[in-house]
Amino acid sequence: MSHEYVPEIATDRNGKKHEVQGWQGDTYGGKLGFWLFMLTEIMMFGALFLTLTYYYSLHHQDFIEASSHLNRLLGGTNTVVLLVSALTMGLGLLKMRAGDVKGAKLMIYATIILAFIFLGIKAVEWTEEYNHGVFLGLDALQSGNEHSRPFGQILFYGMYFTMTGLHGVHIIIGIGLMVWLLKRINAGKVTTEHNILHFNIALYWDLVHLIWVFVFPYYYMIGAGHGH
Amino acid sequence: MDINTYKAQRAGYYKVLGGLLLLTAITFIQPHMFLQNATFGVQLMIGAVKAWLIVMYYMHMKGETLIGWTVVFAMTLVAFFFIVVMVDVDHFQNMEGSHITSQPHIEVDYGHHTASHEE
Repeated sequence: MSHEYVPEIATDRNGKKHEVQGWQGDTYGGKLGFWLFMLTEIMMFGALFLTLTYYYSLHHQDFIEASSHLNRLLGGTNTVVLLVSALTMGLGLLKMRAGDVKGAKLMIYATIILAFIFLGIKAVEWTEEYNHGVFLGLDALQSGNEHSRPFGQILFYGMYFTMTGLHGVHIIIGIGLMVWLLKRINAGKVTTEHNILHFNIALYWDLVHLIWVFVFPYYYMIGAGHGH
Repeated sequence: MDINTYKAQRAGYYKVLGGLLLLTAITFIQPHMFLQNATFGVQLMIGAVKAWLIVMYYMHMKGETLIGWTVVFAMTLVAFFFIVVMVDVDHFQNMEGSHITSQPHIEVDYGHHTASHEE
């Protein structure tokens, strides 16, 4: 299969053909545009972290108590899984630029597998929490009944499920983007010379990793060393 | 990209991976080994160092002037909102009527008599 760049051709009303001057030829523009999109993501998650910090300052002890009950082994394993996946994604881009298209595809497949492992571990963790009666909609996280957790813990778990859930959605989107990238590579649309799509999807994956770098200590580690 | 550049960049990726793994290990041992009274701050500091490594080396921000300043501007805005809100929190004046503090005391006026309950 050829991996040469195939220009897109548009035909005007007189039947004359023109090469489409699209994003594939504008690497810097593509990069800058994608960074602007990522900044909106940073501001969205930034607002959530701000809310979390605000609640933490109001319900200090409840947050530490709730955090001490989270499964740090599973959370930590996911941290390492994402860390390694960021490496495989980066190596994939390097291989693509060096002309090793097969190696690049292998690295993307490895990243997809690691992403599924992350989601699997997260599913186990949420199931464990559900079985302990701690999940959105269950009595423990509703105020005003005999099973209610302290108010600060309700806020903590509400934010925890919201933010890890939103992060999980980003992981699923990332898997979809990587599958799409593989299709574009197979179609010869992403090549050694024209790899801005690969570059931007690698950037997206690093952003997903970056968000987890703060999610993990905020939720799992603030209660570490408090007896659970 | 020639083979030497590829090898040099790949070696850089592995070095950053080593640094990130080391910082992750420190994340785990810190609450049990040192600065236990400042876990929240220390954990966020470690997170900030990890984020810096990721942004600079994995996200290729090193040497990117225009995009770099765009990111700095956005982060400054977020930091500004953080500071303003935290100062506001320090001067919180509505504990009684708040829905984000525990057990707000709510007065409900039913016309002739007033009921009082706690959530």
